[in-house]
Amino acid sequence: MDKKYGVYICTGCGIGDALDMKELCDVPEEEGFPVKTHPFLCGKEGVELLKTDIKDGTNTLLIGACSRRVNFDVFRFDGCIVDRVNLREQVVWSHPRSEFPALTEEQKGDEEHFDRVQMLAEDYLKMGMAKVGKIDLPEPYKPDTFTRKILVIGGGITGISAAIDAAKAGYEVTIVEKEAHIGGYAAKVRKQLPIEDPYEELIPPVIQAKIDELEKYSDITVRTNTVVARIAGQPGEFTVTLKKPGEKIEFDVPFPLPEEMKLDENGKDLDVEKQHEVYLEYNKGRADILTIDPSGEAFGAVILAAGWRPYEPEGDEFAHLGLGSLPDVVTNCQFEEMAANGKIMRPSDGREAKSVVFVQSPGKGDDDSDFEYAGSVTSLVSLKQAKYVREDYEDGKAYIFYQHMRTPGLAENFYKSIQQDEGIFLTKGEVVSVSKNGEGMIVEADNTLLGEKISVKADMVVLATGMVPATVDDPVVNLAYRQGPSFRDIGLFDGFCDSNFICFPYETQRTGIYAAGGIRRSMTMEESIEDATGAALKAIQCIESVDRGVSVHPRSGDMSFPDFFFQRCTQCKRCTDECPFGALDDDEKGTPKPNPARCRRCGTCMGACPERIIGFADYNIDSVGSMVKAVGVPSEDDYDEPPFRILGLVCENDAYPALDMAGLNRLSFSADVRFIPVRCLGSVNVIWIKDALSQGMDGVFLLGCKHGDDYQCHFVKGSELADVRMKKIGEALTSLALEEERVTQFEVAIDDCHKLPKMINDFVEEVEGLGPNPFKGF
Amino acid sequence: MADKYLIEPDIGFIKELERLGGDTLKKCFQCATCSVACPISPETKPFPRKEMIAASWGLKDRLVGNADVWLCHNCGDCTTLCPRGAKPGDVLGAVRSYAVAEYATPKWLGRMVNDPKMLPVLFLSPAVLFLVLGFILKIVGVNWLNFSPGGEEIVHGNFFNTWLVDLIFVPTAAWVVAIFGLGLYRFLDDIHQNALLEGKTDKEKIDGKDFLMALWRVLPTILKHKKFSECGENEGRATSHLMVFYSFIGLFIVTNCFFFSLYILQVHGPYSQMCAVKWLANISGIVLVIGGCLMIKDRLSKTDEVSTYKDWYLLGMVLGVGLTGMLTEMTRLGGLAGPSYFIYFVHLMFVFNLFAFLPFSKLAHLVYRTVAMTYAEYAGRK
Repeated sequence: MDKKYGVYICTGCGIGDALDMKELCDVPEEEGFPVKTHPFLCGKEGVELLKTDIKDGTNTLLIGACSRRVNFDVFRFDGCIVDRVNLREQVVWSHPRSEFPALTEEQKGDEEHFDRVQMLAEDYLKMGMAKVGKIDLPEPYKPDTFTRKILVIGGGITGISAAIDAAKAGYEVTIVEKEAHIGGYAAKVRKQLPIEDPYEELIPPVIQAKIDELEKYSDITVRTNTVVARIAGQPGEFTVTLKKPGEKIEFDVPFPLPEEMKLDENGKDLDVEKQHEVYLEYNKGRADILTIDPSGEAFGAVILAAGWRPYEPEGDEFAHLGLGSLPDVVTNCQFEEMAANGKIMRPSDGREAKSVVFVQSPGKGDDDSDFEYAGSVTSLVSLKQAKYVREDYEDGKAYIFYQHMRTPGLAENFYKSIQQDEGIFLTKGEVVSVSKNGEGMIVEADNTLLGEKISVKADMVVLATGMVPATVDDPVVNLAYRQGPSFRDIGLFDGFCDSNFICFPYETQRTGIYAAGGIRRSMTMEESIEDATGAALKAIQCIESVDRGVSVHPRSGDMSFPDFFFQRCTQCKRCTDECPFGALDDDEKGTPKPNPARCRRCGTCMGACPERIIGFADYNIDSVGSMVKAVGVPSEDDYDEPPFRILGLVCENDAYPALDMAGLNRLSFSADVRFIPVRCLGSVNVIWIKDALSQGMDGVFLLGCKHGDDYQCHFVKGSELADVRMKKIGEALTSLALEEERVTQFEVAIDDCHKLPKMINDFVEEVEGLGPNPFKGF
Repeated sequence: MADKYLIEPDIGFIKELERLGGDTLKKCFQCATCSVACPISPETKPFPRKEMIAASWGLKDRLVGNADVWLCHNCGDCTTLCPRGAKPGDVLGAVRSYAVAEYATPKWLGRMVNDPKMLPVLFLSPAVLFLVLGFILKIVGVNWLNFSPGGEEIVHGNFFNTWLVDLIFVPTAAWVVAIFGLGLYRFLDDIHQNALLEGKTDKEKIDGKDFLMALWRVLPTILKHKKFSECGENEGRATSHLMVFYSFIGLFIVTNCFFFSLYILQVHGPYSQMCAVKWLANISGIVLVIGGCLMIKDRLSKTDEVSTYKDWYLLGMVLGVGLTGMLTEMTRLGGLAGPSYFIYFVHLMFVFNLFAFLPFSKLAHLVYRTVAMTYAEYAGRK
């Protein structure tokens, strides 16, 4: 589009008082940009001013006012490029004149004095101007075909609930269930935990009522004895091949080569062609991921509710608890099966089991952790099963030994009601052994609430083993994605299909596939039903977002998508490998094949690309690079002691709001730093850093989310990848005789605003200690 | 593992405690707020947290013979602060009630004392006793029972001869002492064993002399109600308890003085109002009535604490003894012969009920708590 520029500077909120407006307006005017100021730009009159100009043809607006995180709705004008220059939070509020005094008339124009705050504001304005010159309005991506149908994998209580919720909202749903019947585990229990107020008593299983409800919806198709062979394509146009369990078909998904098969006999990497050959051999009989099954079914989004299986103890893992050697020691799932079939009897001799001990933690030494894959659900199930003992025998006794009794939320009411039962006995404690004692057993426990050591007689012992998600054994979703058929295992979730995003609980690492129920976390039926609703809503959000050509999350509504300039692609596959969401496939040569609907618009591919051929309409190598180049770097030619210039590349998700909050709280920090917001640290291309240093900036730091085990990165891997890249750039700097310390990365959380000033000032001080960049002035 | 670690919950015991006023015991989730809140709990192995879990597990052995339940003065700080409404104060009260019944023989009598349906039977039993004994004596020619005592002066001794009264009361006192003796023998052994098991004592055996020394050391605490007045929640209760406590001591002295003057000095009542002993008697009587009323008021105003039959039984007896005693005197001085003789008769029934069933009623705490406090002092429990 032909850009007609307009620069608007608000003088409200203290901006006009702190800055020399005339000098500030001179900056765009010198470049030939028309400038207007207004004392209250976000007010009715101010907005009218903008609208009038837009009517007169202005279509590219640069607004110097508050942070873009506020008043974004006020300054949104359809069809116009609007960018904001953060003069309020990050200039005047965080650099008060009391600390950064303005120049007196005499000081102006000499070579000794300069106004750091004015320089900061002018630089930000220049950077904004550079940016709007380089960006375009994004146009939505629309896939060739599109369907609103939702696929639900798993016909248990979660899948059924999700299907009903989606059908209620008017979406067509297909449930695939590998067993011959739907209902899953929920249909195999004697009773279930309460699912509604007052959350006190056990209730009969609700699954039959759910199935009955399901049958009322003609939009729900149920396919039993069916599994997913592959899911190809992208949200809005997934092509799904279904098959009978165990069947071998052409459209079974191919698996990526295991690492060891990528090497030759000498342990060296095979070349690309050879690797491809081995890959084809490895997946013989299976169609390539890019081959679309002509008879596949189309789906818009997938809800993964494949559930869980009981934990299977390995060898004599729980020998000290008698599992395996004593027939009356069983797991909670086995106990449930017995309870569902009738009165509880000892498996060894069929006699009444009137004294049952429930063990919550395997308890070995200092390790007080519960059984693997346990959770609050296993605590609650023990309470439930203790009640079974009391239901079956008037003089029955149920003991629960726990290290953790987890009854979150209103489940506490259930705990309280169970506690009231005279025949149920609870104590914290470490169960050290279960041994035979005549016809029964003796359970010994240490460190209990009743004393150091106690022992009780037991007819049966029940171990609260956990719920292993189906994804531990099998990819289930069988994605025809280049990164592989399963969710990428980032080693943090024990095979649970969890994003660990507190903010985005149902989202997996694959856009368009939403997990719910036991596959996501060990959970109760009540939680699964609630989870199902969440996942159904996410699936619907995804479908509707694809229909509008916008991103689903976390950049909900973002219309941009990565664009590739393929002529210059060297097939290095870095983008395909590093995309945290497996959005890119590639052909046999290695040329990436983008799937924009799978993309979350983080820009990790853009940060990875050594050829710099990936970019978004409104965020690309050139737009940020131009901002970097727009920063004024004063040298000794300008001043006797020129100020340092430091670049801060700031993640928009947490770090940038934290900076705004620092301003809001009037926390001040160095005025020699220039911030550029980035979508994610993963999108930072090292060229920007090289540009900054080669034009004489003295240091660069990245400000982003925590990575590692407790990562907070909104795009899972972005800040971690940036960290790796920064370590690599250090070596390059050394070769240029620049100190490695000039480039660094900091981790912040959104609530860390009070820590930021020290973090920034310390870095500035460190760089000042290194001295000015020797390339300054070249 | 040794058998001493074996735990066998007694569901019947739990149900019994619940019936005796501890119906909240299963609500405890072992946060130990109670033990922290309690102003008089020892620092090591503090009660009532451990008693609460023992109660919810039905561990009778750990509770009935546990001196700690008697160290508790039921001030109610724990109950007020308990986040789960488990009311530890009331649970310990129920345990004490159970313990009293456990140590007093015969058990059937204990059950009767704690059964409201048996109250008329028990209350009227002294009447039967008096009349039957009186008539039998009449038959053999001893006329100690006179239904129409004449004379100018109202002399209660003419109605029920003091010989008849004491023929019944002196053996009754002996029987009470004997029952307590039997109970205490077992109680002391049990609390010592329990203290050894729970590591609450530094003594191997109970040494008689040292134990009496400990009693001597603990007496000022009891006389001053030092522990009781440390209670935060029920400050007023210490005062009313102190009133009743001292009035009983006063009346005990009065009774002994008059017993002495009657049988040794051969001077029978009624005695002059100017006599110092009479003064003590009158003051004690008034204090007893006021203290009794205050206690009832306290209980009625404390809606968050459980008051069971055993509590009301004792309060009724205490107030009954005081009121009938005072009324007997007042009607006598007022010259109302008929009512005075009748009220005197009722008074005797109250006194009999209060003392004959002492080892079975809540009043037994005066013995068990004293012994428990002495034991704690003896064992060096801090």
